[in-house]
Amino acid sequence: MSSHREAPAIAKDPVADSTDLYAFVSPDAPDTATLIANYIPLEGPDAGPNFFEFGDDVLYAIYIDNDGDAQPDVTYRFQFTTQIKNPNTFLYNTGPISAINSPNWNRPQFYSVTRVANGAETVLGDHLACPPCNVGPRSTPSYAALALSAIHDLAGSHGKVFAGQRQEGFYVDLGSIFDLGALRPFQNLHLIPLPVMAGVNGTKHLNVHSIALQVPIADLTRDGSSAFSGTVDTKAVIGVWTAAYRRKAIIRGEGDDVESGPWIQVSRLGNPLFNEVIVPMSRKDRWNELPPISDSQFLQYVQHPELAKLLPVLYPGVFPNLAAATGSRDDLVAILLTGIPSGIISGFQNFTGKTLADMLRLNMAIAPSSSPSILGVIGGDAAGFPNGRRVADDVVTIELRAVAGVTYPLVNPGFTPDGAAGLIYDVEDPATNTPPVSYLNSFPYLNHPESGFDIPS
Amino acid sequence: MNVSRRAFLSRGSLGVALAGAAAAVPGLGAVFKLPAPPSAAPPLPATAEPLVAHVRDLASGEVSLMVGTDHVVLRDTSLAARLYGAALAPQSKER
Repeated sequence: MSSHREAPAIAKDPVADSTDLYAFVSPDAPDTATLIANYIPLEGPDAGPNFFEFGDDVLYAIYIDNDGDAQPDVTYRFQFTTQIKNPNTFLYNTGPISAINSPNWNRPQFYSVTRVANGAETVLGDHLACPPCNVGPRSTPSYAALALSAIHDLAGSHGKVFAGQRQEGFYVDLGSIFDLGALRPFQNLHLIPLPVMAGVNGTKHLNVHSIALQVPIADLTRDGSSAFSGTVDTKAVIGVWTAAYRRKAIIRGEGDDVESGPWIQVSRLGNPLFNEVIVPMSRKDRWNELPPISDSQFLQYVQHPELAKLLPVLYPGVFPNLAAATGSRDDLVAILLTGIPSGIISGFQNFTGKTLADMLRLNMAIAPSSSPSILGVIGGDAAGFPNGRRVADDVVTIELRAVAGVTYPLVNPGFTPDGAAGLIYDVEDPATNTPPVSYLNSFPYLNHPESGFDIPS
Repeated sequence: MNVSRRAFLSRGSLGVALAGAAAAVPGLGAVFKLPAPPSAAPPLPATAEPLVAHVRDLASGEVSLMVGTDHVVLRDTSLAARLYGAALAPQSKER
């Protein structure tokens, strides 16, 4: 998956497990950028009575590098606190939750937002309410209105924020892709062939927890300005990543746990699938502990990705050109570790410099597309992945095709991609340009969560 | 001082949790042939956050001290030995 359960250690700590990261110029508010960090993978909508919530013992952060050194220049930190209103019941709610401050919600969660920039910390919001999980029509009637009431303005005209349950917006044929790299629509060509069948969205009807910000573009740039001299303007490009932290020492028992020591990074996410597919299993946990500026040590896995070697083996005779390619995949290095410099793709760049770092790079001078392609840049739409990432972008197909060789000619004109490289997909044929998930047209863009009553597991 | 053993998440080394500041434990000096602790201790705050001590390596005396979000690593064989000894002392065991 994008980054759901992507490493052995964090797979056992879902509350701190970053699953997806999105960054895009807001299509309905183009003077702002939207940043969304998702956590807690594969939430079953009916997972009561203790429904999902953020970790009060986890520090969540979204980082922005705006000068290309892979160090945070702007940081948003989020810390949560949970209350219990009635300690004498096992119930999540003691009646319908018709408003976000309903006394019937027995376990409300609140959070603070702190912005750090230029060495100064500013609390942009405190005791902000999350919405409850979508339990069902009796407990959370009128869920959409309830959830939207949990969008809060941040102090000082620094934008708005939402933190709470959302419908999973990332789609992937999970059951197939990890069954020895099978792509159902092409599995007749697999080393272990099976009849062709339609792809399956393995995350359908699952939820996730989102931390979503919509902030002025000027809040993210190095000079505090949103006036750019075209798409080539280097200060229009930011690198984004999210991370989660736990305290270094935890002593359990004797009532409340005791936590002490500095915050230790346990999860990180920039580009989708980086740690999941690029980094070998023995180093995934370590990768999660490191900041992006340490990523040069993982360069070899980008230059020579394991998946590019596997595809010709798993699909005999389908990828002969890829099988014969032995050079460094500098196209993937650009996409994942440096951004794509000017002159490679006409009218596009999201280069942040030579520092190798897995960051989601967004050129904010590129206006939102009026006719977006879910294939993003490889679909001719410069406003989509890997120029940031929008909620509907088909990142699995994009990265599959890139690894299979469709982007290799950008740096190696002598390479001819195999015919299959530009055709493969896993869930739905992106030629339809119709994602298998529905989204909202406005903030927080990810749709309202599935209800536990309607979607029993 | 009441020193108890508690579960402490560590990676392959002994962790000792202390509630409050460290203090001498009777008898350990004889066991480990330690010098006497200094008589003039620095003043302690009236109220203090829990302090977690982690004896990472008894031989080198490497001790991690964590209080609040601070983390200090000391190399003090005397302190490490006293903490280790306190954790192993029968009177300190908590069932």
